[in-house]
Amino acid sequence: MNASFSSGLLLRIAALAVFAVFFQIGVVSEVPVFGVSADLSPLLVAFVGLLCGSTTGAATGFAVGLLVDLALVQTLGVTSLTLTIVGYWAGRLRELRDPQAALTPLLVGAAAAAGAAVGYSVVQFLLGVDAPVSFELLRQIVLGVVVDTIVALPVYAIVRRCLIGGLPDDPRRRRRRAYTTGGLSPLSRS
Amino acid sequence: MYDKTVRRRRAVLALLVVLSLILLTAYFGEASGGGLHSVQRGFLTVVSPIQNGANKALKPVRDFVGWFGDTLHAKGQRDELRKQVEKLRTEVIANQAEKHSYRELLTLYKLDNQLSVSDYHPVTATVVAKSPNVWYSTVTIDKGESSGVHVNDPVINGEGLVGKVAQAASDGAQVTLITDSSVGVSARIGASNATGIVQPKVGDPNDLLLQYLPANTQANRGEYVVTSGTVSSPDDSLYPPNIPIGQVTSVNEESAYRSVNVHPLADLHNLDVVQVLTAASGTLPANLSRLAVSLPPGQNAGQASGETLASTQSGG
Repeated sequence: MNASFSSGLLLRIAALAVFAVFFQIGVVSEVPVFGVSADLSPLLVAFVGLLCGSTTGAATGFAVGLLVDLALVQTLGVTSLTLTIVGYWAGRLRELRDPQAALTPLLVGAAAAAGAAVGYSVVQFLLGVDAPVSFELLRQIVLGVVVDTIVALPVYAIVRRCLIGGLPDDPRRRRRRAYTTGGLSPLSRS
Repeated sequence: MYDKTVRRRRAVLALLVVLSLILLTAYFGEASGGGLHSVQRGFLTVVSPIQNGANKALKPVRDFVGWFGDTLHAKGQRDELRKQVEKLRTEVIANQAEKHSYRELLTLYKLDNQLSVSDYHPVTATVVAKSPNVWYSTVTIDKGESSGVHVNDPVINGEGLVGKVAQAASDGAQVTLITDSSVGVSARIGASNATGIVQPKVGDPNDLLLQYLPANTQANRGEYVVTSGTVSSPDDSLYPPNIPIGQVTSVNEESAYRSVNVHPLADLHNLDVVQVLTAASGTLPANLSRLAVSLPPGQNAGQASGETLASTQSGG
């Protein structure tokens, strides 16, 4: 990853993160669907991880989490911690499995939303916030995951479109190129 | 090379996780006037105008999306409101006569200095940000200390009590809603004198519970729950009496104290404009608030003795 490529991508991610956080708190949070609001931050972080890798995903998660906690005057560090892990996980998924199915963003979005919601709840419980496990809380988490899953595909398309110019090489394309140029071909080994 | 990449990746993850944990521990452990809280207030001051601008720019988008939901519910709401208007018209006529007698009695017994909403200076504010998750019942408004808003000021809207100011920056403030687990409001059921504390219903962040009512308290479904004008702990805000909070939905009788489920009157999911009840230093509400936190819990600051109030006013 050279320096100019890296700074260009970082700039795009930073702009996207700031816009997403303000759009989230200014519009999306005000529009309840099934009684809950969509949460774009885990989706954004997971898709950045899925497109750019684990390190970028984790760093984006930390930055977006910090921005959310600062803007909403919440306990600093809770969202950062949760989203760092979500971003890292999505990045590792790309690096290890390199999923290419059309529904991958949908599943990754659902898993990221569920992971963020559960992680968030666990941290809050550990901090002693008075809200016991209940059917209502479970319902809110499940509905939140459903709503996030519904918006996952369009969010992925937007994130991909914004980052496409600065993205690192697609691992699949890189493998294919290596294979066709003889690097990984069984013929070249024989 | 591979080892170096793996080590770097793991080091970045570990660093970010440790940083998050340090932030979390430091923030959770420090007082509300601490460094991290100050940074957060500073950030709120900087982003408040941006949030305000974004909120105004994106209002048409919100209104467009909200229009669909409003249209779906409009017919049902209209029928329900018609029934309410009929019922309330009858009650208003009866209440007007009682109100006249009540005022005469208050004047007669020198009790007409009781705190009311009209003693405050309401500051109208727009909600510019709202937390998306179920754990925080907070909103951010576009008015702060520069408009006279202070921590613990009560916040209302046209429907009823909304919450209280938790943090204030110069041009913005964070409002904790009455559905937040940290809020407790001293309240009574409209027709009775029995007071209790309204808190969020355990496990249901959208509903409230009026707790610690005497076991013989009579409560009926549909009755209004209003603020009692007292404080239950020194951290509480002194909400003026008779601000509507919600309506009784059901009564629980399983414990020594009676508790009732209350549905908030204010639509806390769709807050747009709110009013912060501010009070300048030296005014009746400010003095009563100060007096209330120094009184034993449950005592009505609005009915505190004239001598105590006079001494407070001269002291302030």
